Amino acid sequence: MIMAEPAERTDQEPATDVPAVEMDLVRRAQRGDLKAYDELVQRYQERIYATVYHMTSNHEDANDLAQDSFIKAYQALKSFKGGSSFYTWLYRIAVNKTINFLKQRKNRTHMSLNDLDFNTENNPDLVALISENTPRRDAGLKELQEKLNAALLKLSEPHRLVVVLHDVQGQSHEEIAEIMDCNIGTVRSRLFYARQQLQSLLTDYLKPT
Amino acid sequence: MNENEQDFGTLQQFLKLKRHEMPPPGYFNNFSDEVIARIREGGKSGELSTEAPWLLKFLQLFEFKPAFAGAFASALFLLLVFGFVFADRPESSPQPLLQASAAQSNSFAAVNPVALAQPAENTGIIATTNPATSLQPVASLFDSQNPFAQQVSFTTTGN
Repeated sequence: MIMAEPAERTDQEPATDVPAVEMDLVRRAQRGDLKAYDELVQRYQERIYATVYHMTSNHEDANDLAQDSFIKAYQALKSFKGGSSFYTWLYRIAVNKTINFLKQRKNRTHMSLNDLDFNTENNPDLVALISENTPRRDAGLKELQEKLNAALLKLSEPHRLVVVLHDVQGQSHEEIAEIMDCNIGTVRSRLFYARQQLQSLLTDYLKPT
Repeated sequence: MNENEQDFGTLQQFLKLKRHEMPPPGYFNNFSDEVIARIREGGKSGELSTEAPWLLKFLQLFEFKPAFAGAFASALFLLLVFGFVFADRPESSPQPLLQASAAQSNSFAAVNPVALAQPAENTGIIATTNPATSLQPVASLFDSQNPFAQQVSFTTTGN
């Protein structure tokens, strides 16, 4: 199982019946039906957790923040009028909570990384990247994971968020613009700048030999 | 630009590594249960929201608008500073006090001369933090002008 599926899934998700079912669950949850809310939590728990985790690079923080986001969303559910999808609204809560948290802990970054799943070594893209393109051929996957997370943590929160949502989680520019409450041009320029930054930070691992 | 895109392609491949970072096995099995349990717990113990919703909204305002929290903290700080400044300021300077007591002694003919002649320890002491005024003797606690009292004169008839 891969955490936070890429663009293929998220772009296909807003299918015809999904919003109707989701709105029904939301309305029931607004009336205090915790079973309905439990279903909503189960729908989005992986994606919310993944976003927060990739932003913090810390499993414990991600666990707390993801839970807090769902609790806050439930408390504020009555104020949800359906102007956007529940998913986008929930994402905004999680993202704001995470950014506030990151601002508070600014100078005390502690990584607590999740393990790589057993499919990692079978991923042909990664195998090719490590064995052919990376000058540090001796670098193990674990080391690469740490370097990548450390580089991400050096980006500002908005730039990190754009990279996480687009390049890691595969969300579209439009979705990201809605979540971040900015225009698409801003998303594109942030993404470009963030990638440039990452590229310079990871230059030892990216330059082809 | 083309070169950049190509380079970003390598970076994007590298970023795919993050999709393989997994939480401990079974982590999501209990996630929603924990969230619902915390919501139920909050419903029982979180009486604040029902008893004092205004307070909850006020506190939430700090979370949603950090600038408001900063402004509120600044206002509190200023209030504290003003409090200190005004607390340190003497209630009245020593010179006018002496002048006032002298004026009083001149204007009232009915001042008890015995009271004026009494040593300081027998008279009232002004309680103030200013060392210049704290030990100034006062003729009496009761001979100052009362703004609410009116002087009356009685004329006796007969006798």
